[in-house]
Amino acid sequence: MGSRYLGRKLGQAVLTIFAIVILNFLLFRMMPGSPERVLLRNPNLSQQQLEAVKARWGLDKPLIPDQLVAYVGSTLTGDLGYSLKFQGKPVVDVISDSLWPTVLLIGLGELVAIVVGLTVGAYAGWRRGSAVDRVGTGASLILYSMPYFVIGMPLIIVFAAGLHWFPTSGMTSVGTSGEGFVGQLVDLGRHLVLPLTTVALGLIGSYSIIMRSAILETRSEDYMTTARAKGITDGRMLRSHAFPNALLPMVTIIAINLGYVVAGAITAEVVFNWPGLGSLTVDALGARDYPILQGVFLLLSVAVVVANLVADLVYGLLDPRVRS
Amino acid sequence: MRSPLRGRATRALAACALAVSSILPAMGPTATAAPPVVLKVGTTQDLDAINPYNTALVVGYEVYQLTYNLLVDFGDNAEPVPGFADKWERSADGHSVKFHIRTGMKWSDGQPADAQDACFSWGMNVDAVKAGTSIGLGYIDPNVKDAGVTKVECPDAETMIVTTDDQSDRVLQVYVPILPKHIWSKETYKTMGDAKFNASLVGTGPYTLAEWKTGQYARFVRNPNYWGTKGFEDEVVIQFFKTPDTMVQALKAGEIDYARDPNADQLKQLQTEQGIKTVVGAANGWTQLAFNTYGTGTGKTIAGGGASTKALQDQAFRDALGYAVDKKTLVDKILGGFGDVGTTNVPPVLTQWHVEPTKPRTFDIAKAKSLLDAAGYPLDGSGNRLDKEGKPINLRLYMPNSNADYPKAAAFIKDWYGQLGIKVSTQVMDSGALTDLLLPPEGGKTGKAKYDIELWGWAGSPDPNALLQIFRCDAIGGTSDSLYCNKDFDSLYDQQLKATSADARKPLLAQMQNLIYDQAPYDILYYDANLVAYRTDKFAGWRNQPPNGTPLFTYGTLGYTLLTDATAAPSAAPSASGTTASPVAGGGSAAPVASATPVDSGSTSSSSPNVGVVALIAIAIIVVIGIAMYASRRRTRVVEDE
Repeated sequence: MGSRYLGRKLGQAVLTIFAIVILNFLLFRMMPGSPERVLLRNPNLSQQQLEAVKARWGLDKPLIPDQLVAYVGSTLTGDLGYSLKFQGKPVVDVISDSLWPTVLLIGLGELVAIVVGLTVGAYAGWRRGSAVDRVGTGASLILYSMPYFVIGMPLIIVFAAGLHWFPTSGMTSVGTSGEGFVGQLVDLGRHLVLPLTTVALGLIGSYSIIMRSAILETRSEDYMTTARAKGITDGRMLRSHAFPNALLPMVTIIAINLGYVVAGAITAEVVFNWPGLGSLTVDALGARDYPILQGVFLLLSVAVVVANLVADLVYGLLDPRVRS
Repeated sequence: MRSPLRGRATRALAACALAVSSILPAMGPTATAAPPVVLKVGTTQDLDAINPYNTALVVGYEVYQLTYNLLVDFGDNAEPVPGFADKWERSADGHSVKFHIRTGMKWSDGQPADAQDACFSWGMNVDAVKAGTSIGLGYIDPNVKDAGVTKVECPDAETMIVTTDDQSDRVLQVYVPILPKHIWSKETYKTMGDAKFNASLVGTGPYTLAEWKTGQYARFVRNPNYWGTKGFEDEVVIQFFKTPDTMVQALKAGEIDYARDPNADQLKQLQTEQGIKTVVGAANGWTQLAFNTYGTGTGKTIAGGGASTKALQDQAFRDALGYAVDKKTLVDKILGGFGDVGTTNVPPVLTQWHVEPTKPRTFDIAKAKSLLDAAGYPLDGSGNRLDKEGKPINLRLYMPNSNADYPKAAAFIKDWYGQLGIKVSTQVMDSGALTDLLLPPEGGKTGKAKYDIELWGWAGSPDPNALLQIFRCDAIGGTSDSLYCNKDFDSLYDQQLKATSADARKPLLAQMQNLIYDQAPYDILYYDANLVAYRTDKFAGWRNQPPNGTPLFTYGTLGYTLLTDATAAPSAAPSASGTTASPVAGGGSAAPVASATPVDSGSTSSSSPNVGVVALIAIAIIVVIGIAMYASRRRTRVVEDE
């Protein structure tokens, strides 16, 4: 992989992110409604007081150039400003509070789903028409079409409210301070089981279905026939020949999905009261919290751009043809 | 060839795990004290700020009132009772009140709390009112303005004198938190809104905020220096839920003790649960249809905007529509019976001020039709009701997406108005977009007020002024959503503001309620009840405040200080978990002695985020090792194959 190839890809990524920074600013301000008007539901508030709030939030200055210049300038220096909804909290703090719970839940969910989904998909494709295929593909389709809350709510009702095996919601038991680090880790783990199961179940479907069709495609390739002619065992053919080649198209899908990990999974977060980025984004939208929205979208776009960049590079590594 | 590599990777993994596990225990505190008694309260509101001047939510009020005292607190019936001040007297001319501040009171950090703190906190609001501006989001200073406060002075450490230009009791209902001057002395009304409040906070309330996790919970610890009745719980945790479904499950599982605002179906289901008690509390608020009456009383029009028909400016038209709404059905079908039929713009929960209308409208479609005919709104050949310009009346009804009941109510309205020959098109939008749409030119250059009916609701304060204010002419462009203007109403409002006694004020308020009811810029559909469910296995002593209200999220923090140990000897709280009205029992006064809980200052809050981050890092390490192992296996295999 030449340095020119790398440089070009990096340059494209930086340009994309800058364009997104500008777009983020304009997009949210084009929405009807504005943060200070949300306060209009305060029956005590006068027009005058509303103006004062507007001035405090810097919304009284013209959008272009004043607000835009201030925004781009501070974003470039890493200052994302202060949240309007969470009064006085820096955007960076609010987002980072939600970021790692999201990465923990959705990131792990993706990993589990990738491992299970690819395995199920590969075997289903390899043994097309078998019981594994019928059950695996059927279950995948059903799970694929189920929103997280449909999967999650029964889990809560049975395993949390009913059997009391796991807590219903949240990420930690409040006030577990005295239990030491291991105790807290166990507590986090107990809270993670149901939401992780939900997210993983919801994601397995897409991976297994795509993997199945990729395997089916490779089965008819010439090199498979060659391999069989060489007398390689069936399992070996799947693992060493069909699977790696079917993996190639999966790389792009996996990379893009991993990029979206930071977007969170709104419905799963809502059902399990998981303090993630997805629900933060929805709340910020409702409150027209421009700084938070800009921050979240910046993070999201950087993640997607980086994931794509990584996919490009990994593709180059996996498939020599791309490099040349 | 294969095994060595694999073996090496496995060994590396084991070594890593060993290293991680040996680090882990050293990182967390391993103290094992008796666990504190924690009251866990669930709500679907997400706390927005812990700076009292920056919260717009009920949960924010709850948080700051737990930490800070008001000068005058609220009692069993929401009546004024001692708070930061333990007694007060009004001067002979009625224009000033002398408050005596508690002797020997201390902040939770041990500093003395005295009149200087009270003067600092009130003075800032008086300054803001004088400067014609507000502090933070502007929810608190209107209290001071509304009470007519013009001056506060503190001649000595135990005296605060408040001068007012009215003689009402509103000065005893002022929601101004008394903040510690020794911490915030640098702030003025200009800067207070931007002041950074970080847990843990210092207050004189029963509990002080120790920790706030955005979107998750706020944790309070007992204030060791609290002057009043001490509740059984050592800590209070308010947990924020994203959906009532999960909150209800958490209540059933015993993870929380109190759930605020489950919906009607959930409450009905909880009524049958063992060990859970439900409360249907009268609410200080309502859900209404607001008609766009822009131009009424002013004659103004909006180019390219405003209501779709002039009929909405006609009192007779709005009055007739009032007969077409069966509010009893709405309460039964939509609220599951948990609420009251709506009438005037002072909710019945404010028993001192609410009156029933003198000329009530009852559900009668035939009467509505004949009233419309008589008022000059005939039907055309195809059954459409025509306005005075001869145009069929098609009304646009908009509502916010914040409440699942609104679209249901709208469907009923659409049907009933349809029976009159009036077509209604309904649309749900997010509240930001809706406020924009409702805005008239007075509220901004882009304001067009392009709507006919708005379906939304309001929540009030202990004093009815807040809910009356939205009908004033000068609220147009601000909070007014009927854009109604009536000089008589404004003058009545000013008169009641100056009333010297409750007796003098009441008839004026009655007139104002009837005026709005008769003129009908609003059709108040129902007063939705506050629904609450709580567990009785851990805590006893729950008491509704006022008696037709709810135990928590009411006025002040009385409910938190009355809780007792449900597992203790029955003498602690006789049947407190049972019936609602047992004001004499007062299980709260028997405060358990276990109050010597040290206030730990957030050592936990600094350690808890580490757990997740370290877990994340550990997982990342394992994943990387896993990938490395896979890669190395593949490479070995390739070597083998070759």
